Amino acid sequence: MRPSTLLRLAVAGTATDTVRVVLTAVSAALATLAGLAALTVLAIPTPPAVEEGDVRWSEQYASQLLVEPGLRGGTAFASLLLIIPVLALAGQCARLGAPARDRRLAALRLAGATPGQVIRLAAGETGLAALLGTAAGTAIYFGVREVFDTPDERGRLVLPTDVLPASGAFAAVLFGLPVVAALATALILRGVTVSPLGVVRGRQRERGPRPWAGVLIGLGLAAFAAIGPVNRWYATRDTRPPEWLTPALLMAGGLAALVGVVLGTGWISYVTGRLLRRWARRPAVLLAAARLTADPWAGSRTFAALLAAVLFGAGAAGLRSYFEAAAELERRGGGGLAGNGGFYLSTMDLVDLAVAVAMVVASGGLVVALVEGITARRRAYAALVATGVPRATVGRSIAWQALAPAVPAVALALTVGMLLARGLFGTPSSGGYRSEVCDAGEQLCTDPATREQYTRVEVEPLISVTPDVPLGHLAWLGTGAVAAVLVTVAVGLLFLRAGTAVEELRAT
Amino acid sequence: MTYLQARGVVRSYGPTPALRGVNLDIAEGEVVAVTGPSGGGKSTLLHCLAGILRPDAGEVRWRGERIDTWSEAARSRLRRSTFGVLFQFGQLVAELTAAENVALPLLLAGTGRREARTAALTWLERLGVADLADNRPGEMSGGQQQRCATARALVTEPRVLFADEPTGALDTLTGEQVLTSLVRLAREQGTSVVLVTHEPRIAGYADREVVLRDGVVDHGGLGLETPLAGGRR
Amino acid sequence: MNSERVSVPHVLLGLLAAGPRHGYELKRAHDERLPQARPLAYGQVYASLGRLQRDGLVVAAGQEREGGPDRTAYALTDEGRAALNRWLAETELPMPYVSSTLFAKVAVALLVDDVDRTRSYLAAQRQAHTARLRELTAAKTALSASLDDVVAADYAIAHLDADLRWLQTTLDRVADWHREVHS
Repeated sequence: MRPSTLLRLAVAGTATDTVRVVLTAVSAALATLAGLAALTVLAIPTPPAVEEGDVRWSEQYASQLLVEPGLRGGTAFASLLLIIPVLALAGQCARLGAPARDRRLAALRLAGATPGQVIRLAAGETGLAALLGTAAGTAIYFGVREVFDTPDERGRLVLPTDVLPASGAFAAVLFGLPVVAALATALILRGVTVSPLGVVRGRQRERGPRPWAGVLIGLGLAAFAAIGPVNRWYATRDTRPPEWLTPALLMAGGLAALVGVVLGTGWISYVTGRLLRRWARRPAVLLAAARLTADPWAGSRTFAALLAAVLFGAGAAGLRSYFEAAAELERRGGGGLAGNGGFYLSTMDLVDLAVAVAMVVASGGLVVALVEGITARRRAYAALVATGVPRATVGRSIAWQALAPAVPAVALALTVGMLLARGLFGTPSSGGYRSEVCDAGEQLCTDPATREQYTRVEVEPLISVTPDVPLGHLAWLGTGAVAAVLVTVAVGLLFLRAGTAVEELRAT
Repeated sequence: MTYLQARGVVRSYGPTPALRGVNLDIAEGEVVAVTGPSGGGKSTLLHCLAGILRPDAGEVRWRGERIDTWSEAARSRLRRSTFGVLFQFGQLVAELTAAENVALPLLLAGTGRREARTAALTWLERLGVADLADNRPGEMSGGQQQRCATARALVTEPRVLFADEPTGALDTLTGEQVLTSLVRLAREQGTSVVLVTHEPRIAGYADREVVLRDGVVDHGGLGLETPLAGGRR
Repeated sequence: MNSERVSVPHVLLGLLAAGPRHGYELKRAHDERLPQARPLAYGQVYASLGRLQRDGLVVAAGQEREGGPDRTAYALTDEGRAALNRWLAETELPMPYVSSTLFAKVAVALLVDDVDRTRSYLAAQRQAHTARLRELTAAKTALSASLDDVVAADYAIAHLDADLRWLQTTLDRVADWHREVHS
């Protein structure tokens, strides 16, 4: 297969394929922006210390998050975290129009394309779309740089427009993301090698999902909870843990928990479907139950980005309540450093903003996935309507199908997020240790002979403040997520009206 | 010379057996009709012979070499270079034009686009649909689509052409026209044809008929697995 | 297969519609236009022409003698043309009687109560039918085939196809019945 052939076949597609390409490009652009933002923050040089103990702040910026070198890592990390829902969105976009694409790939296989060629075609499409996206993202990045490159009246910059990431890092984002996207597509398609008879004969029925996702969630929680003890263990041996250990545990644990929650949704869908099937009497609910058990992974695909955002948000809520507890502790202990706690709390507002952005991105993904689900099955729905099932019943069944697994899945994500934060930060406490206090003057105390009789052991009382479970905050998150589902269902039902026109039955 | 050979081919879908030990030889240039009742295993046999499906047991040989043990990719390449396939409908890629569809096997094999298009146009001409070269399948009638599919099946000048109910979705006259050109062009090239059909009229185009019933070859077409065993009642 | 008797006089009237012809020409034209039909005997042609002349449907339109036997050309009269049109306008009764030898043999064989014999007869007949079907298909798809050949072959093929379907269905029925009895 020549490259020109690959290009032609990779871009052959219908309107749905075009939408998928565009959305993939948009996701790639968003990911590029987040990545470049993080890289730019990291590229801010730390000014050399003029004298011993000098604060090495970059005073040219308006925001404290950019000024203090110690905070810049966190700022970069927060913007990198935004990539997670964006990636989930990209994953959902990849499913858009998948049945039509599978049919096309099966037809190509029938014409003699090898499995490898078919995978290269699909990966090529995704890679090209992502390349378009990263290019667009880079263009937007430079546009934003131009716009904000004017200092305010105090000569400070709102954004770090005076630095650029290293060209190597730039290239890594611009070309690395498309390569990663293409590889991910290839990896996903490897599992479902398109058979030449993809259209002619259905695949074999598979068993319902098993609750293995619980193991992943457990591993994630364990990894987070292990970070504290591991560091203490190294501390007791007067060594420091290897540099990579803590970030690795954070990444692996977070990923395991997220994947666990997303896969767990498949199991939740399946179980909900079976329960509804047993107890439901109304046709709309029965229809929804049948779909839930027939394709339990639909829920995982639909809610992936939303669940990622909810998990992230619940973790942030847990962190906030830890900071609040820490501030409370300082007040009780009379540490008087309440201002410091307040500062951390204000940076938490930034994190909450990131969560909100992630939720919005995820809702976009939700609309995409839901509308895709409806259009993919529009023939089946049109057939139902044609045989006399009221359109309202079909609509209600779609609502049930979305909400029945969404509510428990969101609750799961909230719980896991909360537990992750609690496992990592634990309960802030002070005291609980003994100290030797010498009540005499310096001379007596330093003399080993006399020190003994003037020294007494004082026990600092252990004060700990258990962070509250931020029920209000979590309730807001949960309500927001379920509301997002409701709104997208409403949007999806608008498409249902057009999709269930009986004329759909004519289309092949 | 024997082109294709099936020995004891067994294939099931889950617990349902489709083929229960089929033996069959197909010679060079031979047109063989595979007939029999629905569910007898006709299509499955064709898929196994063409290397689309791998049999659960038994052997499929192409010119004496076992192909059922080959990798998916190797069988795809064999199908592309040496075999042609033609189904009842739906094998054209909806997003590509007629000419691109016909050129597809050549393109996948690495032929340049201009050269592949020239070959495709020649074959569309032979099948009498040259004027539809730049139409997409959705803009053609069933008969025109089937002619394009036939052109695609023949464009690589295959040694064996596998046709599964090629006229099933067409009216009698259109079906006959498609089949007549198919068999004529195949005979001109010395291509063997395996023709799956349930219509006696279509089987009439073949040199030989093989009846499949309940997943085995029904010798003599007697309607029984074991012919004439103690029939008096 | 076509046990129905074809009205030869009406076919001759039809062949004369194109213009006057001799008896010999009429026989040749008949065999050409209806290639798969049983060939006409000369005697049959002259006997039919005599009857048509008697009834005033054709007239002798001249004689020529060119070193051979008498050659009388015949032409269609107005009455003859009217008779031809009447015949063409009449619809044929669709299968008024099921009266083929094939059907009679199967029915009798079943009556004689020997399933094996019925089945082997059916299988042998099926093979004979298939062979003839192949022959006709080959004749029809030959590049030299004319439209007349194709139309005639089509007629025979459609009937053979119907017979074959019936044979196959009957074979299956006998097999089912056989299974039912012996299980």
